Amino acid sequence: MSAASGLDRRTFLKIGATAAGGLIVGAWRASGVPPDTASGKALALGAFVEIDPDGTVIVFSPRPEVGSGVKTSLAMLIAEELDVDWKTVRVRQPEQLEPKYLDQFTGGSAGISDSWEPLRRAGAAAREVLIAAAAEKWQVPSADCRSDRGAVLHPPSGRRVDYRELVARASELKPREKPALKSAGDFRIAEKPTPTVDLAEIVTGRITYGLDIRLPGMLHAVVERCPVFGGKVARFDASRALAVPGVRKVVELPAHRFALKSGRPIMVADGVAVIATSTWAAMKGRKALRVEWDEGSAASESSATLRAMLEKLTAGEPGKVLRNDGDVDAGLASAARKLEAVYEVPFVEASPLEPVNCTARVRDGACELWAPTQNPYNARNFAGTALGLPEESWKTAITVHMIRPGGGFGRRLDTDYAAEAAYLAAQVPGEAVQVLSTRGDELQHGLYRSNGYNRMRGALDEKGALVAWSQHLANCSRYRYQHGESPPWDSEIYQDDFPAGHVPNFRVGYSEAQTAVPRGYYRSMAPGATNFALEGFLDEIAHAAGKDPLAFRLELIGEGRVLPYANYGGPQFDTGRLRRVLELAGQKGDWGRSIAKGRARGIAGGFVFGSYSAAVAEVSAARDRTIRVHRLVSAVDCGRVVNPTGARKQIEGAMNDAMNLALKLEITFEKGRVIQKNFTDYPLVRMRESASRIETYLVESDKPPTGLGEIPVPPAISAIANAVSALTGKRVRRLPIRLG
Amino acid sequence: MARYKLSVNGRPRPVSADPDTPLLWVLRDSLGLTGTKYGCGEGLCGACTVHVDGAAMRSCVVPVSSVAHQEITTIEGLSAKGDHPVQRAWVEEDTPQCGYCQPGQIMCAASLLAFRANPTDSEIDDAMSGNLCRCGTYPRIRKAIHRAAGLAALAAKRSKS
Repeated sequence: MSAASGLDRRTFLKIGATAAGGLIVGAWRASGVPPDTASGKALALGAFVEIDPDGTVIVFSPRPEVGSGVKTSLAMLIAEELDVDWKTVRVRQPEQLEPKYLDQFTGGSAGISDSWEPLRRAGAAAREVLIAAAAEKWQVPSADCRSDRGAVLHPPSGRRVDYRELVARASELKPREKPALKSAGDFRIAEKPTPTVDLAEIVTGRITYGLDIRLPGMLHAVVERCPVFGGKVARFDASRALAVPGVRKVVELPAHRFALKSGRPIMVADGVAVIATSTWAAMKGRKALRVEWDEGSAASESSATLRAMLEKLTAGEPGKVLRNDGDVDAGLASAARKLEAVYEVPFVEASPLEPVNCTARVRDGACELWAPTQNPYNARNFAGTALGLPEESWKTAITVHMIRPGGGFGRRLDTDYAAEAAYLAAQVPGEAVQVLSTRGDELQHGLYRSNGYNRMRGALDEKGALVAWSQHLANCSRYRYQHGESPPWDSEIYQDDFPAGHVPNFRVGYSEAQTAVPRGYYRSMAPGATNFALEGFLDEIAHAAGKDPLAFRLELIGEGRVLPYANYGGPQFDTGRLRRVLELAGQKGDWGRSIAKGRARGIAGGFVFGSYSAAVAEVSAARDRTIRVHRLVSAVDCGRVVNPTGARKQIEGAMNDAMNLALKLEITFEKGRVIQKNFTDYPLVRMRESASRIETYLVESDKPPTGLGEIPVPPAISAIANAVSALTGKRVRRLPIRLG
Repeated sequence: MARYKLSVNGRPRPVSADPDTPLLWVLRDSLGLTGTKYGCGEGLCGACTVHVDGAAMRSCVVPVSSVAHQEITTIEGLSAKGDHPVQRAWVEEDTPQCGYCQPGQIMCAASLLAFRANPTDSEIDDAMSGNLCRCGTYPRIRKAIHRAAGLAALAAKRSKS
């Protein structure tokens, strides 16, 4: 994969799809270890398969496992085509970032869809050379042989030989460029509920996360960062910090001095780092620091000033009109009934439970990173930039060890922690340094999903049909912060989202607010922020039209058709599949049926990153005015499901994150600083607050797999909001939901 | 620096540490027991849960000086072979996602079951609500605790007969 430094996800995908076929064979040759049957070691068949003389099949699952289950499901794809018994398979992840593994990125809910063909071909390539080796041994045509769960058969003669006896010869053979794939009907591993790998290691605490890396003589570092966005260190006094036993060094971290060639910052904030022999010594040293800050211009920013800016922007014409069907102004002017509303979402921070961290060692011009990340390519590029190494040397000078992260949720798509670790390690050459963010650091110096202010307008004709719709979003663009090649609105709003294509006069516009707040990712990104506005406003229009919210949506969709979709998840949007998940969620979620007193239901749907989902939420309000979500029903169509067990877990997790976003999470600012400091004021959902019933339904499909991890989140947020609106009779237009 | 003769997972573990050092960092940095996790540093998330004389404690807010004479059990010492009923139930329910919070969840659940052999849903919620799971495995944790209660009861019945 090419250096993914400035690449946005879409470019990344294009490269992956076109290059995959040739790369498998390329990787095969590169792995050309001379076979050595006497050594008793496992022999490689390309990059992804090794077969041990005892018959154990080692499958390498290339993408980082952040908890979404890809380590299991990607290995299932390889093992399926290799045609082995899953019980004989041991799944490993590559220890390092290496070209032969094709794509070691996890993000955009694309882990399965991007691997579906390439990794099956990798498995099939290995199977084909094993068959060829058997045919050669028996002096029969390959076409007369077939594989059968770890062995090759020659049906005409009834002969059979285990893969392990063929692997030495097979590893010398070159596979075909495009090995044949099984038809899905023949699957024995894929599409069968399969336990997650690594469970035994997780429940015994043996699995190694980023912070669990232990290297001889390793030092620990924490960073006191400027509390104000974009501020700098004016001066600091390290004497008291250096007097703390165990503190080895105190150095400035001049983050503002570093950026990729594109201009993208590689670190979040300037600060002063304390490097010590233990975590606690580093923390105590940090407390003893005296730092004076040059706060800079962002000290005048607050949540209130930002909101006022968004409000003002949406009062005027959009900075950019992204879609304009018919004549919205005329449609609004001539309508029988007009609605206008503002839907707002806050800044949020992903906050995986293992805070971001990275361990690095720099010596003799080379750098090793132990990086718990979703994006090792960027980790390498950011470290190379922080070290001032020439770009052409990054691939050879920087080794990225792949370490399991304790959760991602988008935070580990950014790799500022790799830049910091590399920079700090270079201050103590030859010594490994583990850089830890505390929870407070994570919340106060994060990369935040932007807030959003959606001015919505809609109109109904005399018959209650939706004849005009307009959405004007103002927010702070992630692409702008990242200096990407794509326009700023591309990361923020998808103009082809439903009900686009279903309303004759339809307009989507975007206005960009300027801010110093660093922007990054949060699970389900743009749809996670905009679906609430779309599905909330649609809900209130349905009520205004005197129609049931589900019936209104289904009527709008009609029979369903395939529409062009220019945003991430396209190029097509099949509204019939949206209809199906809405119907399924409605049916399973008892839509329209009686409900316990004091409770209400809400429904919403959405097309997100290529997949479809809908949710029904059932809520009540407690005496203290807190909202209780009793039940969440999620129906998802993500095409073929590689591991139904993993898929259900992802949907359950998505329901939890929907509760986080609907009810809990908000990052606010005062004087250019983040207010929130820990889980007291950034309160993730706890068990007693979590819905007691979470139900998951997967639509059976023969379509190729699309994404899942993020897909069910946005409609579930909207379903909760719509349920609360139904409960109170007062429309929820702001997240997180607070009853007055 | 002071010297402590800690007892961890049934073994004497002498360490040198400042008295105010949280037990969490002694376990992780001095003793290499990294199964106990850092999540918040203020006892808010439960990722650092260990047993002190059998009771669940948040090791990130327990100074090492306060547990010098008590028996400390970490996830590494919960069972010799990883087959404590709670661990088995966790595997059977396929509970973990990223897995980072799970050692703390398991230690908390094991402590709950030691005091309450067959907890109700609401007792589970009360006991477990100090342990955050960012991935949202709560429904599986609830089920796994019920399953563990069943496994433990079964084991007790077998050992009697």
